Amino acid sequence: MNNFWKEPFYGYVRVKISGKYVELFMNRCIQYHIQIWEIIRVDNDTIILSMYVKDIKRIRPHLKKTNCKLRFHEKKGFPFLLKRILHSRGFLSGALGFLLVIFVLSNMVWSIDVNGASPEVEHKIRKAIDDIGVKRGKFIFRLPSTQQIQQEITERFKEITWVGVKLQGTSYHFEVVQKQLPEKTPPLSPRHLVAKKKAMITRVFVEQGQPVVKENQFVQKGDLLVSGFIGKEENSKLVAAKGEILGETWHVTEVEIPLKTKFVTNTGDRMDKLSLSLFKLDIPIWGFGKIKYKDYEILLNKNKLHFLKWELPISIERAHYLETEEISRELTTEEAVKLAKDMAKHNLEKQIDESAKIKNQKVLRQEVENGKVKLTIHYDVIEDIGVEKPIIQGD
Amino acid sequence: MAKWGQRVKRWMTKRLDLPADAVMDLPRITMVGQLHIYIENHQGVLRFSNEELRLLLKQGQLLVKGKDFVLKNILPEEILLEGKIEQVLYLDRPTTDDAKPKSFTLGP
Repeated sequence: MNNFWKEPFYGYVRVKISGKYVELFMNRCIQYHIQIWEIIRVDNDTIILSMYVKDIKRIRPHLKKTNCKLRFHEKKGFPFLLKRILHSRGFLSGALGFLLVIFVLSNMVWSIDVNGASPEVEHKIRKAIDDIGVKRGKFIFRLPSTQQIQQEITERFKEITWVGVKLQGTSYHFEVVQKQLPEKTPPLSPRHLVAKKKAMITRVFVEQGQPVVKENQFVQKGDLLVSGFIGKEENSKLVAAKGEILGETWHVTEVEIPLKTKFVTNTGDRMDKLSLSLFKLDIPIWGFGKIKYKDYEILLNKNKLHFLKWELPISIERAHYLETEEISRELTTEEAVKLAKDMAKHNLEKQIDESAKIKNQKVLRQEVENGKVKLTIHYDVIEDIGVEKPIIQGD
Repeated sequence: MAKWGQRVKRWMTKRLDLPADAVMDLPRITMVGQLHIYIENHQGVLRFSNEELRLLLKQGQLLVKGKDFVLKNILPEEILLEGKIEQVLYLDRPTTDDAKPKSFTLGP
């Protein structure tokens, strides 16, 4: 038995058969295995029936023999539907428009998430993101890459240790790690203060503990400065030694500065090129012509286009050609020495605490050799030389 | 001879429990309320209209009367009719006023 579920796929027609002996025609169809179905009587000598398109040719002789005439009434089924759809301009343009809208929307920023930041910082970050241009409704391929955004935001905020920028489809995720202010150390365990380095004590200020050294005393590294034991021997007590022991320490730094240096800088001149790359083919859109610079550096920015979640083989490439220039710099000996001193001081400051003071500096040796100025400088620095050393009980 | 054959067949269905429709070429009619009628073993359509379906059987004719008839499907020997079925009648001989069935012949 026919179940009428596959007919729509083949495409069938409703035909009007008219003639004196339509029943005869029906019987012949059955006999010759031409499928007919859904037969309705319209009037005295007309019926409407359904049949497959492929059978139309086969019924011609039977029509002739039974003196019947055929007229098409309706075309039905998927093939005809498809034909109609493809022929109707409205539907086609609608479908294309739909795809276009989906395409445009899949390349837009839809949401921006900021995670891990306090509300205050989050607000600031959101503002900064907005400044950079990452906003809802912006085209993703026109925005800077995630690395650039990441760098920009990390540089802008001091209170952020790290920020991770992830682009997931149409949404940006910002993962923020905020700097934690160091917590006050809890009540201290018993300890001594010992010398951090070789020094001459200049000032002793003890908050807690038993000072062992005096001013103008020379100490070696590891010497006891403030003891954690207080009181007389019978009722001595252990405390956490605390205090500031300032001492004069000595540092020697060596700096070398070449008199002649060459370096590369950008001249500020640039050329931009925009191109669409389809599979492996590059189609320039904007910015033609050869690069006229002798030396240049290229910044490439490639953005893939998306359709829903799929990456399309189309991408927009932006290339910036920055002109570069090689500059050579020559210094006189005095200038070089001054620069070297600055550099030496800078180097030293990196090594010592912020609270340390440079008391004295003295150039030990200065020589010009092979086009280089070599400087050896001695510094006297006053700094806190105390460092904690826990007392392990039971010793 | 024909009578003899009929007798044998009737006896076989009675005694051997064979289905009558298969042995005796009788129509098998299945009806679902007044909605459907499904007829097997027919020999051709004699007349079809909105109110009437007349089928040729091995012996005589079958007349179905009702309203809004639609022939849902026709296959050799099978037919499915939909509509509101009011009567099912067996006619032994073709009626005289209907000339068509008499002249109707099967085969090419």
